Amino acid sequence: MNIVVCLKQVPDATNVRIDPKTNTLIRDGVESIVNPFDEYALEQALLLKDRLGAKVTVISMGPPQAKVVLREALARGADRAFLVSSRAFGGADTLATAYTLSLAIRKSLDSATPDLVLFGKQAIDGDTAQVGPGVSEFLGLNLVTYVREIELKSGVEVEERKFRAITVMDDGEHVVEGELPAVMTVVKEADEPRFASLVGSMNASRAEITVLDEKAFAADPRQIGLDGSPTKVVRIFPPPVKGGGRRLDWNGGASETLSELLKELKS
Amino acid sequence: MIETDILVIGAGPAGLAAAMKLKRGGFKGRVVVLDKAKSAGNHVFSGAVIDPAGFDGLLTESEIAALPCESRVNKESFRFLLGSGASVKIPWVPPMMQAHGYPVGSLSKVVKYLAQLAEADGVEIYHGFAVTELIRENGRVVGARTGEKGVDSQGVHKPNYLAAEEIRAKLVILAEGARGFNTTRLIESQKLASARPQVYALGIREVIELPEPVPGSGGEIMHTFGYPVDMVTYGGGFVYHPNDRQVMVGFAVGLDYKDAALEPHELFRRFKATKVVQRHIRGGKPVAYGAKLIPEGGFYALPRPYADGALIVGDGAGLVDGLRIKGIHLALESGVAAAEAILLGLDGVGERYDEILKRTRGYAEVKRVRNVHGGFSYCAPIGVMMAGFAWSTFGRIPWWPVGRVHADSDTLRAIVNRKSQTVNFPGSPDRLTDVFLSGTVHEENQPCHLKLGDSAKCEECAKKFDSPCTRFCPAEVYRREADGSLRIDFSNCLHCKTCEVKCPMSNLTWTPPQGADGPRYV
Repeated sequence: MNIVVCLKQVPDATNVRIDPKTNTLIRDGVESIVNPFDEYALEQALLLKDRLGAKVTVISMGPPQAKVVLREALARGADRAFLVSSRAFGGADTLATAYTLSLAIRKSLDSATPDLVLFGKQAIDGDTAQVGPGVSEFLGLNLVTYVREIELKSGVEVEERKFRAITVMDDGEHVVEGELPAVMTVVKEADEPRFASLVGSMNASRAEITVLDEKAFAADPRQIGLDGSPTKVVRIFPPPVKGGGRRLDWNGGASETLSELLKELKS
Repeated sequence: MIETDILVIGAGPAGLAAAMKLKRGGFKGRVVVLDKAKSAGNHVFSGAVIDPAGFDGLLTESEIAALPCESRVNKESFRFLLGSGASVKIPWVPPMMQAHGYPVGSLSKVVKYLAQLAEADGVEIYHGFAVTELIRENGRVVGARTGEKGVDSQGVHKPNYLAAEEIRAKLVILAEGARGFNTTRLIESQKLASARPQVYALGIREVIELPEPVPGSGGEIMHTFGYPVDMVTYGGGFVYHPNDRQVMVGFAVGLDYKDAALEPHELFRRFKATKVVQRHIRGGKPVAYGAKLIPEGGFYALPRPYADGALIVGDGAGLVDGLRIKGIHLALESGVAAAEAILLGLDGVGERYDEILKRTRGYAEVKRVRNVHGGFSYCAPIGVMMAGFAWSTFGRIPWWPVGRVHADSDTLRAIVNRKSQTVNFPGSPDRLTDVFLSGTVHEENQPCHLKLGDSAKCEECAKKFDSPCTRFCPAEVYRREADGSLRIDFSNCLHCKTCEVKCPMSNLTWTPPQGADGPRYV
């Protein structure tokens, strides 16, 4: 059984600051991390590996530095890693990214169809939640989003290729049943990601990471990178800074304070 | 079990210098560096104006030129502060304080750069692994054990529990910084300490971003002494301009202070509010914060820097020039000395390291200024006099003040009628706001890593000293609840270890929290 997990390297949002003059991200001193939701997706894959002996392949699309997130995944227990990286992929929007990733996923499995492809529910930088569903379209696979628990049998026999997933929705939890192969996006209510062991980290630091570029999987040049991206970013700007609220002190008693408040609200 | 030839604990300047020098000197074996921070440089904190002498013999000229420091010192001044408004500019910068041409910048960034160079040299560096125990066999250090992860606040294993791992090494280099957890225990158990106790200063620093760049300000530095500490408290401030948009403002206070009501963070705020500092930072916005211990016991408090199977380098070995309060170059030099000793073979490596260390320029400096701190333990003017004498006589002073011999935990005087006062400095972050700026993060659901001994001692301390931990901690980790009990917000911790050093009842112990937790200095 083959599970593919797609991981994205994102800036650590805990200390992202926007330059007020240029409206761009201040990259200075901002660390790169694995997109937190993707860590939960990886954990689901590793739990299935523990239970069923699946082979876990991790794929990331990004600059060469993104190898760091793949090594982290290998350190935690993933089996193989592929970096999808080329200048030709630069500027890709979610459509071009989903197209590119779908080709890379097939390539990583020597054109076989994966049994399960996992994504985080969204990336914390773009917040679109579109790439996972996009990949399911390109690969023609079933899609389940916002998953917190996945139940599978071994996945070898046809009758065992059924899954049961619990998803987290606004109106409560849904139980979804379907058939593999499938694409799923995972939420943070799922099992806590495991830690990389020291032994695992040492092995991962020596592991081979295959780099795939546009030539590796014969991508259509009109569907990748900036040229393959119908989304045009016109302007990036932070939301206007909210002024602090006004505080009414309870000095003169309730009625005075209330009438002052009402006067303020009416004007 | 993992095996390596050399294990370095701590990826700061000292540990990385040792690891790099080994590889650059042709060491064929495996060199593994473990660090408890999440990422390179995250637990490294300093001013910093770096004496570049430490890079000699370690980095090439082009590597030194490529250090991630935007400025070199081009304008320096030294001031005596009389109060919040008045100050006297010392007409010349004392020769021993001169730093012309030294790189100014973030030590965290410099260490990140060193880590990249070291990895390219073949050093293996693993972040997020705290060493919680040295493995010893027949008294010899033979390896280390990493901390468990995924343990909840009650000590129960969570589903993602990760067990401790053992790593064996032919030699362990302890490069944990000031008051390192394993270093302190090794010094105690192997009786490596000098006759005089190691004493420390607490340094606190913010980075302030200016509203508009001030062209030409990069490279300007200022050191001060005097206000806001009184004549019998050892302390000093600094203002560094690493570039034309940012200012690093810091204040260090000797933890041998006697006034239990003293609050180092408040001194820092007073310092920032002085006219002379305001001139540098007006309208600016603090964007980063941190705190660290500086060992300043100097020559007389140096421990023996080796034990069977282990070498101690950098701050952990007390190697700081107590006059200039500079230790980075000494950290680098001691790391290089350790590597040179190892390159000559592992037999008798401890003694050999000690010999090579004593021949370094940095060590000679520590010796030269060995009597300065003793002078400061009387009062600032005697200290300044001693500094001058020490320099001009190359440390050969016919007489010297013995100075204090007390550990920092023994210097507080009992409080009588403490009046609580809140000081307000507009635009100057309070402690908790500063904690936020340090980026410190700890998994909340884990055992508290700050171990409180006997709670009866806390009650006694509350009566006698009014719980000074609630004031000396630069991260407001300790608070008194309404019922008088001590609350420990360990997730605020900056890993500075002031509490362990200054608690007058010696009732607090700092232990490493889950690996990768802690400040995120950049």
